[in-house]
Amino acid sequence: MSTDLVLDGLVRRFGGAAVLDGVDLTVPAGGVVALLGPSGTGKSTVLRLVAGLDTPDAGRVRAGGRDLTGLAPERRGTALVGQRPRLFPHLSVLDNVAFPLAVAGRRRRAARAEAAGHLDLVGLADLAGRRPATLSGGQEQRVALARALAAAPAVLLLDEPFSALDPGVREGMHRLLADLRGAVSPTVLLVTHDRQEAAAVADTVAVLLDGRIAQAAPAGELHTRPASLAVSRFLGGVNEVPGAVERGAHVSALGRLALPCASPDGPGVLVVRQEAVALTGPADGDATGTVTRVTPRGARWRVEVTTPAGPLSAETGPGRTPAPGDAVGLVLPPDQRWVVPQATG
Amino acid sequence: MPARGPRRALLLLLPAALPTAAVLGAALTVAVLQSTGLMPVVGEPDPTTATYRALAGDRALLDGLRVSLGVAAASTALALAVGLGMALLARTTRLGGRLLRAAAAATVPVPHLVGAAAVGLLLADSGLAARALGAESFPPLVAGPLWVAVVAEYAWKESAFVALVVLAALAAGERELDETAATLGAGPWQRLRRVALPMAAPAAVAAGGVTFAYVLGSYDVAWLLGRSYPEPLPVLAYRLWTDVDLARREQALAVAVVTTALALACLLVTAALLARTARTARAVR
Ligand SMILES: Nc1ncnc2c1ncn2[C@@H]1O[C@H](COP(=O)(O)OP(=O)(O)O)[C@@H](O)[C@H]1O
Ligand SMILES: [Mg+2]
Repeated sequence: MSTDLVLDGLVRRFGGAAVLDGVDLTVPAGGVVALLGPSGTGKSTVLRLVAGLDTPDAGRVRAGGRDLTGLAPERRGTALVGQRPRLFPHLSVLDNVAFPLAVAGRRRRAARAEAAGHLDLVGLADLAGRRPATLSGGQEQRVALARALAAAPAVLLLDEPFSALDPGVREGMHRLLADLRGAVSPTVLLVTHDRQEAAAVADTVAVLLDGRIAQAAPAGELHTRPASLAVSRFLGGVNEVPGAVERGAHVSALGRLALPCASPDGPGVLVVRQEAVALTGPADGDATGTVTRVTPRGARWRVEVTTPAGPLSAETGPGRTPAPGDAVGLVLPPDQRWVVPQATG
Repeated sequence: MPARGPRRALLLLLPAALPTAAVLGAALTVAVLQSTGLMPVVGEPDPTTATYRALAGDRALLDGLRVSLGVAAASTALALAVGLGMALLARTTRLGGRLLRAAAAATVPVPHLVGAAAVGLLLADSGLAARALGAESFPPLVAGPLWVAVVAEYAWKESAFVALVVLAALAAGERELDETAATLGAGPWQRLRRVALPMAAPAAVAAGGVTFAYVLGSYDVAWLLGRSYPEPLPVLAYRLWTDVDLARREQALAVAVVTTALALACLLVTAALLARTARTARAVR
C-alpha cells in the first residue's frame, strides 16, 4: 500500500542559519524521487524531518492525505535506510528483518515466515541464521532494505544507502531497487549526491541547492533543460555563452543561433551540454577556435576550445582526438540549445 | 576481527593479570595449606580436613554464609536496578548522559569506608535522617536485623559502577539503533525491551557479577554498619584471625578459602552467562 508524500514549505534552522529554507516536493504514490544536492545542503535533514527524527521550524509533511508533522516516528510509516545499515547486533539476520513485524504484534512464527519472504526478495534467503557482524557491506545493506520493506512503509526513505558500496555492488543494488519496484512498488524518496545514481534509479530528480528545491524534473530534462545556471553547473555543465534572446534566437559573440523553443526576449545565457557538442573542421561549425587542452575522462575525452565567446568544451568518444593548438569547429546541435537567466548577484 | 585479536588482547592484559594472579595465588595457596594442616604454624605437617569439618557444623559459619550471600544478593540487585535504570534514563537526553557520567565518575573512587561512615552519619538512629524527620522511634537501619545501611552503602556505590559500565556499552551506536527501531514502528517501551535492554544486558551481567563477588569478599562496610552477630564471612574471618587462640587462625583461613571459592564461583557463572549472551541470537518474542 503506497501513498504519495508531500513536503510543504519545510524550514529547518540550526543555530540561526536556515539549512532548509522552504522545501516543497511531491513524490507520487509508487514513484521514486531522487533528492540530489552537494554535501551538507541538508538532504539528510529532509529525510529526518519526514521520518520524524527531527522537527521542522515551519512547514508540513503529508503522506496519503495524512498530516504527519508532529507525529512520533513510530506512528508515521516511514522506514529509513541510511548510509550505514544499522542492523541490530543482538539479533540474527532473520530476526532483524522480522523486527518490524514482531513490533507490530505478529506472532514469532508468522513474523519469521514473512521475514523470510522479504529476505528472499533481496536474494539473501541463505543468510537467515547469520549474525549481522558476519556479513559484507553489500549484504548488510540488502538486509537493511529487506527489514525496511518488512515494515510495509507508506514511504521508503533512502539516505545515500549505496554510497559506501563498491561500484559493482552499487550497480547490483540499483538493479535490486528496480526489481523491488516491480514487486512491491513502494513510494521512495532517495537521497544521493551521485548524479548517475539519481538518473539510474529515479523517475524524477529534485536538485536541492541553498535550502530549496532548485528544480525537479526527469534526469534527462534536468541535464538538457536546467532551470538556472546554478543547476546547470551543479549537474556538471560547463558551456555558458552570455548574450541575449531576440525573436527566437540567441545572439552573442558566436553570432545568431536559432533556438528550438520559444524563449522570452532579453538577456540570457546559452547552455549546451558538452556531451552534445560535436567537433568538425575549422571551416564548419557554429563556433570556431583553437584547442587549448585535452583531458581523458574514462573512455571519452574532454576537448577545451577557445572561441570568441570564451572557452567551450566538447566530449568526444574514442577515436581521432585533436591535439592542443589544432584549429577546430564546434557544432551546437539546435535541439540541444537552451537559455537560462543570467546569474543574479 | 582478525584471528590474532583475542590472543593479542590477552597479551596486553598480562602485565595487569600476572601480579594479581601471583599475589592471589600465593595467598590462597598458603591459606589452603595452613587450613589443611599441611603447613602448620608450629610442629610437623599433618594433613587433615578437621578444620573444615568443624566449620561445617559451626552455627557462626552457616549464619555468616547466609548473611554474606543475602547482603551480596540484595546489594547487587539494587545496584543493578538503580544503575541500569539511571543509565537507560540518562541516555534519552544528552545533558542527562553527561550529568550521570560525571556523578558516577565522582562516586566510584570514593572509598567504601568513607561511604560507610557517611551512610552511618545519615542513617544511624541518632543520625541526620532521624533528626530531620524528628521521628519518635527511628527504625534500626544501622546494625539492624535487615542490614539496611550496609546494603544501602553497597547499592549506592556499586550502582554508580553499573551505570558507568552500561553507559559505556550503550555509547557504541545505541542511539542510532533506537532511532532505527522507531522508524520501524517500535514505540518507547518496545525499544526499551527489544533494543536497549538486550544491548545493555552483557554489560549489566558483567557489572552485576563483579559487584556480587566484591560485596561477598569485602569487610569494612559490614564491620562498620552491620550487627555483631551474625557476622558476614570476611568479618568472621578477621575476628578468628585476630583471636588470642592460635588454633583459630586455621579456621580463619578456612573461612577465607570458602569466601574466595564463592567469589570465584560467582565470577565463573558470570563468564558463562556472558558466553551465552554472546552466542545465542536472541529470538523475536
Ligand atoms: N543536529 C544538528 N545540529 C546542528 N547542525 C546540524 C545538525 N544536523 C545537521 N546539521 C547541519 O545541517 C547541514 C546539513 O546537514 P545534512 O542534512 O546532514 O546534509 P547532507 O545530508 O546534504 O550532506 C550541515 O551543515 C550540518 O552541519
Ligand atoms: Mg547526508
